[in-house]
Amino acid sequence: MGPGLAFDALADPVRREILAVLAEHEECSVSELADRIDSVGRTGVSSHLRVLRAAGLVSERKEGRFRYYSVDPTGAARDVIEMLHSLFQGALVDAGRAATEADARDTSEIRSA
Amino acid sequence: MTRVVLRAEQWTAALPAAAYSLFGADLGAGWVFDAHCDRVAVGNAVSMRAPIAGFGADGVDIIGRIAAARPGSEIEIAHDQPWRGRIKLHFTPERGGTKVRLFAELDESGLEWLMHRRGFPIARGRSPNPQLGLLTTKSGPGNLFTAAVDNLAVLAVEEINAEGGVRGRPVELIVGDDATDPATGVAEARRLVRAGCRTIMVSTTSATFAAVKRALADSEVLVVQTLMNEGGARGPLCVQLGERHEDQLVAAAQPVMRMAGGRRWFLAGNDYCWPRSTHAVARRILPRFGARVVGERFALFGTGDFAPLVEEIRRSGADIVLSTFVGADSAAFERQCHAMGLRDQCITLAPAMDESTLLRIGDEASSGLYSVSGYIERLPTEANSRLLARYRAAFGRWAPPMSSLSESVFEALHIWWFAARRVGADDPRRIAEEMRGVFEFPRGTVTLDATGRAGQQIYVAEAAGTTLKLAQ
Repeated sequence: MGPGLAFDALADPVRREILAVLAEHEECSVSELADRIDSVGRTGVSSHLRVLRAAGLVSERKEGRFRYYSVDPTGAARDVIEMLHSLFQGALVDAGRAATEADARDTSEIRSA
Repeated sequence: MTRVVLRAEQWTAALPAAAYSLFGADLGAGWVFDAHCDRVAVGNAVSMRAPIAGFGADGVDIIGRIAAARPGSEIEIAHDQPWRGRIKLHFTPERGGTKVRLFAELDESGLEWLMHRRGFPIARGRSPNPQLGLLTTKSGPGNLFTAAVDNLAVLAVEEINAEGGVRGRPVELIVGDDATDPATGVAEARRLVRAGCRTIMVSTTSATFAAVKRALADSEVLVVQTLMNEGGARGPLCVQLGERHEDQLVAAAQPVMRMAGGRRWFLAGNDYCWPRSTHAVARRILPRFGARVVGERFALFGTGDFAPLVEEIRRSGADIVLSTFVGADSAAFERQCHAMGLRDQCITLAPAMDESTLLRIGDEASSGLYSVSGYIERLPTEANSRLLARYRAAFGRWAPPMSSLSESVFEALHIWWFAARRVGADDPRRIAEEMRGVFEFPRGTVTLDATGRAGQQIYVAEAAGTTLKLAQ
């Protein structure tokens, strides 16, 4: 992968949309992607997938006649998306625990009152 | 623009109303990285410290405003730094408690910023179009005063390209983040140069500008400081626009002493070149107006607790504080001055006080604050009303307010374009020579002559809630 490619690949709105769909659905075929993206057809999706693969953002898995696409587990986009996801999830877990504890305190205060 | 949406969810035994009320309550349960805000009400400033790896123990501040607040059910945050995005929290009753769901949107600039900070290469492929660099502050304590810089640069580039760009080619803007650190600023400036920029607009502290100018001395790249500064940089590849501190102090000294009803000044600010130079100028200029300097103190960036300083100012008997704090430090300092009752004794003149820092300070703590600059968001010029309308149309109601520090980048890009249209974008020396003339801008008439100094009207402004208005 050329070092400059990741950003060029992201500069296109359809390619960001493909990445967003893949981030949410783990793995999709070209037709599944084309169903979820209105702005371009199958051929368009295929050519955008080529750019995303060349940039190392999306990986391809072949199974018989079919090809499936997912966010490249070793790529920059996966790293960033997973890192942020775990940060946000971690923040919610911390806050949820504090909220549950605050709730338990309030409940016991009401009982003892 | 298509965005990547991240989702997370968590259940808590607390009821929706109780879970919602913990947001911003400083109890370790702020829902998003213990978010800070004075009130969970639409329009209020909010900041969250995200523990993103690679930023040391402190993490990175995500800053923005509350865009929606429906008690017990929904909070939406529109944020601008370090990238533009939205974070939504939904609270729904479930199993006797609450399901909290979070949606975070990440756009192209966010992905780019994060990939870069995680160490991935993000250089673009070579383009035949003119590349223009913008070095600004997306992270660190300075990311407060630069909150609108990016937006205004984007608006200027859109206008430039709608008018044919430079010699028929659209200008492409490449943004670097100095992280409020001169060494990072130099590394980012070098990246912009490698990407093909022959001019770099620098909208950061003067500390970063000075370091970048030194580092690029042999690179045949023009560096333009867009916002207020102390001047003094020389050379054919350097232009310093923006207000000069001595002009600001001359304009403000008498009106501020009249409003304070006293003439004793305490000088306090962050420890780098612009505050140091501003204090030196204050010591020279203020006595001419009958003022007396009764104390001076500098503090490092990121100083969390200003209580000892506020106490020292109180003891000095000062009537006026000249504050040269900037960004998050300025907000923290002013909030603490207010909380400790210092406003009963003195008012503050802060030349770099801008509208987005005021938003963080909040309505209550902003009383008794004065600024002095060539522009405020509420400046009643026709060109400013037009720019404001375009800005809100492009970036929405909750985009950070414009200020002299951010609006100046819009003007700097137009001045650059005025020159580049005539001599092309590839000859930075000639561009620098051609950045002369008389311009009509949202702030009024700006004159650039051979001395390299921008002539402009300077206004004393007073905080009115979280905005600045012209002082009477």
